[in-house]
Amino acid sequence: MLANLHELKTALDQQGIFFCFGGPMSQELMVGIGYTLRSKMKLDEADSSTIVKVFSMFVEQSQNIIHYSAEKTPLDGEQTELSSGIVGVGYDTGHYYVSCGNMVNNEAVASLCEQLFKLQSMNKDELKRYYKEQRRKESRENSKGAGLGFIELARKSAKPIEFDVQKINEQFSFFSLKTVL
Amino acid sequence: MENLVIEATKQTPKVSFDADNHVLEFQGESYPENMVEFADPIFSWLEEYLEQLGEQPVTVNIELIYFNSSSSKMLLDLFDKLEEEVENNGKNITVNWIYHAENDSAEEYGEEFQEDLESLTFNLVQKNE
Repeated sequence: MLANLHELKTALDQQGIFFCFGGPMSQELMVGIGYTLRSKMKLDEADSSTIVKVFSMFVEQSQNIIHYSAEKTPLDGEQTELSSGIVGVGYDTGHYYVSCGNMVNNEAVASLCEQLFKLQSMNKDELKRYYKEQRRKESRENSKGAGLGFIELARKSAKPIEFDVQKINEQFSFFSLKTVL
Repeated sequence: MENLVIEATKQTPKVSFDADNHVLEFQGESYPENMVEFADPIFSWLEEYLEQLGEQPVTVNIELIYFNSSSSKMLLDLFDKLEEEVENNGKNITVNWIYHAENDSAEEYGEEFQEDLESLTFNLVQKNE
């Protein structure tokens, strides 16, 4: 384990990932990590506009894990439950990026992919129109807040959202995405 | 009626609704886990306030450094509600969207809200520090 930990750190370093968390994600944790992330970027002399955008990507992706990860503790919990996933922030060839991954139910994969393919095909103006349209449609009472989250990510990202789905077993797939500023 | 004051946290803005002076303010950041839980008391207060409001001018100051996508929905609902009051009940309401000069995200969101509002006065106010 100890030797592997260094390998893991090296692998992250090689990809420019300066921050990474994997495990049960909570709002409290996200707030704490977000605060540190902003301090770190400030010390690296990133400008405040960039800091807000990276932070925004980090929040949308972390809340996505919290609301939609299929990996829950306890698995059959009804009330208090934690959702697991992984989220990382990196800097590569002059650009910040944020990446996240979590388990999803296989039944959810098709519509998830459809949604993201649609966003990938849109330019900035189309994304803006779609964002406004969806924001008006969504009901404040029923939404956990996402839906808009992916569009928000696509709009902040300099390149189309990259995503990937790997089938793990009969029930779950691992879903990951990356947004680059 | 009583004023509404909710202190800021790292993830929710300071809410300060002053019914005597007709100034409603949001200040800070907004990305709570449960938007509905945060927004419900605010909207209930607002309903009651608007019902008893006469012709006095109302100023709504919104200064948010960062807000997430579900907060953006909450803001749209708020502006729709205010616009409805202006259109149907002749209320005199002005929204000031305050953003820091270097915060282009906040500026852009302000512009987008402004584009979608017709009868509600919605000013973009740049703040230099």
